[in-house]
Amino acid sequence: MTETMEQIPERDKGVGCQTARKTAIVGAVFAGVFTALLVANLIGSAVLGPARELKLDAMKLRVQKEPDNKELLAEIRQLDLKIRRDRLWRWEFDRKAAYMLLGSVVVFLIGAQVTRLLTREPPRPGPVRDVGEVQIETAVHARWAVAGAVVLLAGGAWLLYSRGAVDFVQAQDQGPAYASMAEMREQWPRFRGPGGAGVSMYTNIPTRWDGKTGEGILWKAEVPLAGRNSPVVWKDRIFLTGADPNAREVYCFDGFDGRLLWRGDVPTAPLPEDAELDLMEDTGYAASTAATDGRRVYAIFATGDVAAFDFNGRRLWRKNLGLPDNVYGYATSLETYENLVLIQYDQSDGTDGKSRFYALDGLSGRTVWDVRRALPNSWTSPVVVEVEGRHQLVTLSDPCAVAYDPADGRELWRAECATGDVAASPIYAGGLILVIEPYAQLAGIKPDGQGDVTETHIVWRMEEAGPDICSPVANDQYVYLMESEGLFVCCNVQTGEKLYEHDLRESFTASPSMVADKLYLLDMKGVMHIAEVGPKYKEITTCALGEECFASPAFVDGRIYIRGDENLYCIGEAPEAGPR
Amino acid sequence: MTRNKDVMNRRKFLREGLWGACLAGLGGATGLSVARNNRDNMVWQIDPYLCIQCGNCATYCVLEESAVKCVHSYAKCGYCDLCTAYLVPEPTALDTGAENEMCPTGAIKRTFVEDPYYEYTIDESLCNGCGKCVKGCNAFGNGSLYLQVRHDRCLNCNECAIAVACPSQAFKRVPADQPYLLKEVVH
Amino acid sequence: MMLRFLRFTVFVFALLAPSLAVCQEYRFPPPDFESGYELPETVVPPPRDSAYEYVDTAVFLLALILASYLIHKKRSRRAIYALVIFSLLYFGFWRRGCICPIGAIQNVTLTIFDSSYAIPITAAIFFVLPLVFTLFFGRTFCGAVCPLGMIQDVVLVRPVKVPLWLESALRVLAYAYLGAAVLFAATGSAFIICRYDPFVAFFRLSGNWNLLVFGTSLLLIGVFVGRPYCRFLCPYGVLLRQFSRLAKWRVTITPTECVKCRLCEDACPFGAIREPTEDWPTGQYRIAKKRLALFLVLLPVLVAGGAWGGHKLKAPLARMHPTVRTAERVYLEETGQIEGTDDVSDAFRATGRASGDLYREASMLRDRFALGGALLGGFLGFVVAGKLIALSVRRRRSDYEPDSAGCLACGRCYRYCPKEHERLNQKKERVPAH
Repeated sequence: MTETMEQIPERDKGVGCQTARKTAIVGAVFAGVFTALLVANLIGSAVLGPARELKLDAMKLRVQKEPDNKELLAEIRQLDLKIRRDRLWRWEFDRKAAYMLLGSVVVFLIGAQVTRLLTREPPRPGPVRDVGEVQIETAVHARWAVAGAVVLLAGGAWLLYSRGAVDFVQAQDQGPAYASMAEMREQWPRFRGPGGAGVSMYTNIPTRWDGKTGEGILWKAEVPLAGRNSPVVWKDRIFLTGADPNAREVYCFDGFDGRLLWRGDVPTAPLPEDAELDLMEDTGYAASTAATDGRRVYAIFATGDVAAFDFNGRRLWRKNLGLPDNVYGYATSLETYENLVLIQYDQSDGTDGKSRFYALDGLSGRTVWDVRRALPNSWTSPVVVEVEGRHQLVTLSDPCAVAYDPADGRELWRAECATGDVAASPIYAGGLILVIEPYAQLAGIKPDGQGDVTETHIVWRMEEAGPDICSPVANDQYVYLMESEGLFVCCNVQTGEKLYEHDLRESFTASPSMVADKLYLLDMKGVMHIAEVGPKYKEITTCALGEECFASPAFVDGRIYIRGDENLYCIGEAPEAGPR
Repeated sequence: MTRNKDVMNRRKFLREGLWGACLAGLGGATGLSVARNNRDNMVWQIDPYLCIQCGNCATYCVLEESAVKCVHSYAKCGYCDLCTAYLVPEPTALDTGAENEMCPTGAIKRTFVEDPYYEYTIDESLCNGCGKCVKGCNAFGNGSLYLQVRHDRCLNCNECAIAVACPSQAFKRVPADQPYLLKEVVH
Repeated sequence: MMLRFLRFTVFVFALLAPSLAVCQEYRFPPPDFESGYELPETVVPPPRDSAYEYVDTAVFLLALILASYLIHKKRSRRAIYALVIFSLLYFGFWRRGCICPIGAIQNVTLTIFDSSYAIPITAAIFFVLPLVFTLFFGRTFCGAVCPLGMIQDVVLVRPVKVPLWLESALRVLAYAYLGAAVLFAATGSAFIICRYDPFVAFFRLSGNWNLLVFGTSLLLIGVFVGRPYCRFLCPYGVLLRQFSRLAKWRVTITPTECVKCRLCEDACPFGAIREPTEDWPTGQYRIAKKRLALFLVLLPVLVAGGAWGGHKLKAPLARMHPTVRTAERVYLEETGQIEGTDDVSDAFRATGRASGDLYREASMLRDRFALGGALLGGFLGFVVAGKLIALSVRRRRSDYEPDSAGCLACGRCYRYCPKEHERLNQKKERVPAH
């Protein structure tokens, strides 16, 4: 053993140890002092502060009754200054005292640890004992202690449980989770408005605006990501969706000033190795229009992602229905019925059973019902219509129109009436379901049948027109068709007889709309042709927006919302100043 | 003894197996986090349109001087003589007297610009984030004042104590490269 | 007079106007300045540069490497203590203890369960790195890196031994804390580890008074009882314990072999040194076997019981979620059981949502908590049964060695071993004395 071997020192009562001990005591005392000061400061501000502020508030109330009392004013100002100075002083004091406390704690610790080091005992084995016995005994105690801990935890749990729960389960019957049909009719809650009819009952819709001068245009807002879907309106909120290959978003604009209130992100599932989404450039990732039930807004994208947001932008749920096998890209818009979101998910060629119709619960995203459809991919959107007091969900694909009970998905009737790339959605007017076969015909079907009604319930066919994109619009007398090259055709709803055709010589992808007694036709250059509803074409006026438009417009109380290629426009009058 | 040895080998095998499983599990957790990660840190911000100016921002911050301060959007301000954020609802006069000021710490400074406009600026070192001025501005004015988290003061706690106490759940996490939710002027 | 009229109209106007900034229009249009006044810019100070995050991660990695080296190779308590001080100062007072690996459990849980939250990469690294190091080197993170552990380590002056029964019972708390933290993080309700972190208030030098009192009490206890938070409360410690059992290189008291001199029996302030065991004494073996069988049978019973109990607690557990609290408050107000409104219900009513929707959402959340509570209860049942089983088996041990799970790798025990002294002397002898 050399001299430099480390030795474990013996108990040392020397000078070093004394100093260390004293340091520790000094540190502890100072720590105590600073803690006491901090506590005193806290009590001071907690007790004195509110009392002073109450006094100040009382004086301020008094001075409102005696505004000329100079003395009172001076008192108030002095007290206010005192309070403010005091507050700042207390902040500073706390900060400094905290540092000093930290310092004294460090001093104490250094003293304590050095003392410990210098007074360390050398290691000594304890008394000899029967290790085995001791181990058994401690194990017994330990097991009982664990049992005791469990009992304590259980006791705590019981206390929590017995506090009782607020039972709001029964309160859920207070009001439905969705807007009533009457409320829906006043808004524009889906593609082409309530019932997908493209009809608005408002009589105060503007008929004059100019994109170049800004006349009649209330506001214009840039939409961050492009999409061909149409605006959806619920009271003062406008919903749009936009997407590109990397992002899918839902936007909410303020209806009165165009401010983007929120943008919600819809994440997508990663694609499997060999999967690829083949889209037509014209379709894009966001061709489907959103839908709202007055409480939430639902959106679907060409990647098969569906999401629900509440009106404040919080995403409630999100689902992926699988990559749709659709040659042009998925473009079907959503429909809602009571608490359900209805999704027509047609795919492939109809032989492999991939096509389905989903009904998801709007609040949770859970699938309520879904049915297989032996039908190929389509680009029409479903509509819920009321026939003789009952609701029907009418869909159109190649070759059948199929109607289901929207509550449970039970098939009501089907009729073979259209083949090819069916894209114009069906509507219900004049007691008939009107369906279009592209480039071929318009047919009227009576919706009160059961099973296959091809032979029995197709009342008439008109074979002189067949739009390939735009959906028709109709009232009890007339049905209007818009072909994408500009041929506008009017027929009699009851008989199918063609009444007139008028070539507008423009391209159209937006579906025609009927507002009170006028027809609003939006062409791809952004020019709105406004004409009279009647057996003859009579143009009232045209209004140019100055931007390309592919989506159908939305009409609500006194305003039109048009989505251009890059911007959303609000056409209408400024609301009256004052509280909303 | 072979029995002991068997036990030892079994135990060793189990140990090795579990070790490998744990390492694989950690690898999986890392992979998942990397796949769904945010390169940036996330920082806290108040959504100014959800805030109801309850006053919790001043008291719940873990810092004694709250990291939430009042911010002014000058483009939205009306520059009014009778500023309802600066003055109490029934002022004795439209001046800077303590009895007329809404702000308990005197953090709003009022300066004359031109008739009849006054400029209002916030002295952040005095502001305590109580929101009284914001309440007045939103109720009766343009809403150009709002409370917002200041990142030179905020410690960016993993769970913001004010966020927990916020009655309208107005606190959001935003990525650090776009760290501010400001009230901007549209048009 | 004019002033009063103006005030009156403003006041009346204001009474009618909603006091919440849901939609804003210009009541007072922005002025046109004629004097050439320019609108000032709104100042926006940026947050901490994200480069600092990467520096922190690098320092963390280096600290872990250094700790592992010092604990296994250098085996010097002095060097470890120096690293302890550095970790306390850097990860504690400089970084203010946030984000720490303990809290990162919650971030990782949230990433798994909530697809809209993306974890910052530093948080993921902080979570994974100590676990990886523990798999190789044992709890070196606890030994010299974790700031919460370090602050307790430096205040330890006069260690008192905690009897095994108390230790076993208290450690159930740590499992409960972990389970609850994961449950509340997964449901997006709260980060309770951060909320009830006792030491972060010291690192920030300010905080909630309740937390300061809690932290001070823990530190005062920690002067006598070694590292109470680490041993009985730390949820991350639960994970580290299990990983440390599997560590490739365990911390050993002796650098070479144990001579059973018994000098290290009282060396560990944390009670982590295990003595050599003998065979069961005759007569005890059969009882022990029966007891073990009983506990093995009890395992599924405890798991099921725990699951049932946890499931029943869905309502109080769900109350941690702000939506459920809002729903309860709004319901009590609407059914007249509470008078008046508070900020939460006012804020809810300002959003214009229907209360029926809120109740539906709260019910859905409660159902999630029913499942989560059942899992939490089952987990705790499993843990308790596991503890009882562990306390009924006897692991053959021939040497004095640290408990593989409980050893905090502090290095205090090295000096107690004569073999260690031999090693140190051999090192010194290689350097010729002059």
